[in-house]
Amino acid sequence: MTQAAVEKVAVRQYKGTPGQIRRRRIELTAGVVLGSLAMVWIVINIINSPTQFAQVFILGFRNGLLYALIALGYTLVYGIIELINFAHGDLFMLGALFSSYFITVWLGQEKSNLAGWLTFLAALIAAMAFCGGLNILIERFAYRRLRRAPKIAPLITAVGVSFILQFVGIKWNGSTPRNWPKVLPQSEFTVLGVSVAWNTVILLFVAVPLLLLLTWVVTKTRQGKAMRATAQDQDAARLMGIDVNRTISFTFAIGGALAGAAGLLYQQTTGTTNYNLGFQLGLIAFTSAVLGGIGNLNGAVLGAVLIGIIQGLNDGLPIALGQKWSQTVVFTILILIMVFKPAGLLGKSTTEKV
Amino acid sequence: MTLSNELVLDASNISVQFGGLLAVNDVSFNIPKKSVVSLIGPNGAGKTTFFNVLTGLYKPSEGKVMFGDREITDLPPHKIASIGLARTFQNIRLFGLMTAEENLLVAMHSHLKSGIASTILRTPRQRKEEKEALDSAREILDFVGIGKWASEYARNLSYGDQRRLEVARALALKPEILLLDEPTAGMNPQESGVFVDFVHRVRDARDVAILLIEHDMSVVMSVSERITVLDRGEKIAEGSPEEIRSNQRVIEAYLGKAASEGRGK
Amino acid sequence: MATRAARKAKKANRTPASHRTWALGYLALAAVMFVVYQYALPWEGLPLPIYDFLQLWLPPTSINEALVYVICALGLNVVVGYAGLLDLGYVAFWAIGGYSAGWFMSNFFEQWNVHGLASVAATEPGIHINFWLVLVIGGVICAFFGVVIGAPTLRLKSDYLALVTLGFGEIIPQIFFNGEDINGFNLSNGTKGITRLDPIPTGVKDLGPFDFGSKFVIFVLLAALMVFISLQLRRGRLGRAWLAIREDELAASMMGVPLMRTKLASYAVGAVAGGIGGVAFATHVDGVYAERFNFSISIFLLAMVVLGGMGNVWGVILGAFILSWINSTGLPALGDTFNTQFGTNIDFPSFTFLLFGLVLILMILFKREGLIPESRLRMVLHEGDADEELKPAHLKPADGEDNK
Repeated sequence: MTQAAVEKVAVRQYKGTPGQIRRRRIELTAGVVLGSLAMVWIVINIINSPTQFAQVFILGFRNGLLYALIALGYTLVYGIIELINFAHGDLFMLGALFSSYFITVWLGQEKSNLAGWLTFLAALIAAMAFCGGLNILIERFAYRRLRRAPKIAPLITAVGVSFILQFVGIKWNGSTPRNWPKVLPQSEFTVLGVSVAWNTVILLFVAVPLLLLLTWVVTKTRQGKAMRATAQDQDAARLMGIDVNRTISFTFAIGGALAGAAGLLYQQTTGTTNYNLGFQLGLIAFTSAVLGGIGNLNGAVLGAVLIGIIQGLNDGLPIALGQKWSQTVVFTILILIMVFKPAGLLGKSTTEKV
Repeated sequence: MTLSNELVLDASNISVQFGGLLAVNDVSFNIPKKSVVSLIGPNGAGKTTFFNVLTGLYKPSEGKVMFGDREITDLPPHKIASIGLARTFQNIRLFGLMTAEENLLVAMHSHLKSGIASTILRTPRQRKEEKEALDSAREILDFVGIGKWASEYARNLSYGDQRRLEVARALALKPEILLLDEPTAGMNPQESGVFVDFVHRVRDARDVAILLIEHDMSVVMSVSERITVLDRGEKIAEGSPEEIRSNQRVIEAYLGKAASEGRGK
Repeated sequence: MATRAARKAKKANRTPASHRTWALGYLALAAVMFVVYQYALPWEGLPLPIYDFLQLWLPPTSINEALVYVICALGLNVVVGYAGLLDLGYVAFWAIGGYSAGWFMSNFFEQWNVHGLASVAATEPGIHINFWLVLVIGGVICAFFGVVIGAPTLRLKSDYLALVTLGFGEIIPQIFFNGEDINGFNLSNGTKGITRLDPIPTGVKDLGPFDFGSKFVIFVLLAALMVFISLQLRRGRLGRAWLAIREDELAASMMGVPLMRTKLASYAVGAVAGGIGGVAFATHVDGVYAERFNFSISIFLLAMVVLGGMGNVWGVILGAFILSWINSTGLPALGDTFNTQFGTNIDFPSFTFLLFGLVLILMILFKREGLIPESRLRMVLHEGDADEELKPAHLKPADGEDNK
């Protein structure tokens, strides 16, 4: 057999070192066990109160889409420069705040009529532009210099940026939550006895196209290819003529834009803004990104939807820990994933060649 | 020069797979006591990977490594270091912001015994231990010839002295085997010659076996008692310098088939 | 007084000149402050302007609070400054320390009656253990949790580690926040908190919440203890191992340094400091209140360590003092003065977030080695060289090599 043929067989048959095989088996069993427990819990609740379950589930799913928009920002940035942009959640918060002012204060819209709808669409574009632009500035002034520094440095800087953004939030919003009128319809409709809010549907109609648009940009456009190349190997990308700085800025812009959209959607569905919104939801979104596999776009969406549903079920179901344990549940998930399966659900566990 | 029959290291049937790439393919390799052996091969031959298996950085997909009568295949790197396998790095990896003697003291970590309590309270035993460690460090630094830089920050040393410090630090582990990873990289022929003498001196005075990974053939030929050649993950030759020098397969591996058959371009 | 000076002097004698200078300097400052607060402030003959000035700008409460921050910042310094591990959840240890004080020094657990050299009558219900013992107990509990948290997480790379520690920093306070009814057991009294802690027995007098001067001495002692522990460990093999890990983890492990154990040690030592600080703080505010323990505190402490210079205890003390003072007193006092002077109505204390955020960003971008760089950095290189050289190794770019 030729050398090449031998190698081909080796590749096909390769299952991993004994350690890796064992590890995969443990992960599989753990996953099955956890999954089964979760199933049992879910089934109990379905039997207990089916309509409530459905409503809570739908709500959770809706939140999951919201988290997905934010989580994508985390995962895009981490994928390209291996930085956890701590300030990303606060960007979302500013997006929500911006949208509030844009719709209510600057354009004075409060009703769900044609003007309201148009304002909503305008706000969507404006919020995305605002947050995208802000993110570009943040990258340029806070992170760019630290690109070759040890990870601890930009991490600390990111925390600092987060605090500054929260300060802006405090000044703009005030230190207590504020309520805003919603230009989206507030009514509900019922399906099979389950009441669904109209704005859930609208959120779906905004989020899904955005996600599809993102997928198209990343896979089909030149900038998207540049992003993926830079994510894989920055120096090689630079040698291939890719303007790495511009590509990274572009990534931040997209991530920011999605956060801005999420901010608008959040503000219009819940009608509130608060300066520490970013911290709470940011961590949830980050957990989603890690759950799905950091750096993996589909993973971010999958993880976000899962977390949204889990959180929704936990908060809303009668047989559950309840909302006051919500953060603990999400953080416990984060810790468990990072300790036991840092690659997440869809990520690859790579063995690095040192 | 006949090699001792007693083996200080015995690696058998080592294979290392990364994903689908077989970096090391069924290589068996041993190091006799107090010998100086070399591992050579063209780039990508798998030398560094194999080296990393010996030091515990990688776990092989197959095979085992024996250190004396103890299996070390699955031990973590710091454990392997503490039982007597010390290495230097191809790109110098000194602790630049620590002094030369501090670098050595770090290497003595596993041989020192003081815990948190005795360190905080500075018990007489801890003080004695620290003093002895410091004396030992100074002695090693003198031996390698950089004694006068003992209190100098490692990053301030000249390149040659930094290389010596790397060896000194490895010696501070009180090893039975010293693994030197391309120690003469960046040296001119004269410096390499000095280094060859240095290797001999180390072997004789410190009672230690030495494994060298090297690209500089003159160094390899002049210092090795036995040379092992890897190519594309496999061991293709092993023997004395004379045997290797005239080995057909080795020449082919380095220079390509065309050159060995005399058909130059 | 005599033993304190003697202990500090003993430490100073064995340490290099720069340490000795700093120690004596801070000691002198502490002595001056003590005299001012214990004797000058209560003195009737003190001119009113001076009295007002001191009460506005340097009230005793803020000094003592700053000392608590100093103790905790010194603990965080061991983790972040010595070992180079980014911990964003340090507030968890502060909380555990605080609740240790609450559990063991009050009537909270009235269903039991345990007394250990307590400063209250034996008839009082609850667990009442001597303050000094509680310091130790709090430290031990925190060390335990430090190991429990650290064992699965310290092998993660730095950014993941930061997030996981942040997670714990949220979970643990939330457990206390919701702790009024955990399966029927009241762990923490939830948002109501635990109040009215036992006085501190000192053999001379039992110290209550208003004995600022005497508490000042105690807090200074605790801070000095942390400095002592930090410096001693730093000189020994553990400190060298931490520095080596901070600089090049891989090389350290190949030189025989057991990574996990060493990192855990730094985490445990840091946790003990947090516990001690937590107990001290609880006696300072005479209670434990769940909503006080939040993420911002972890970041405040981080900012103090970054400002002061990661790894330099003297700088960290300075950084902690400055930032704590600004937060508790400086901003509000500045606000009052400015507003009355100019008739404005600016809410100065709300600028805290801006301040701490700027400290973190500007220090990392422009002066990563801190206000007072580790002496070895200054010694090694030319004055005024504003390039890479002046930064501690774990903050320098690693020339294309993989970053931690």
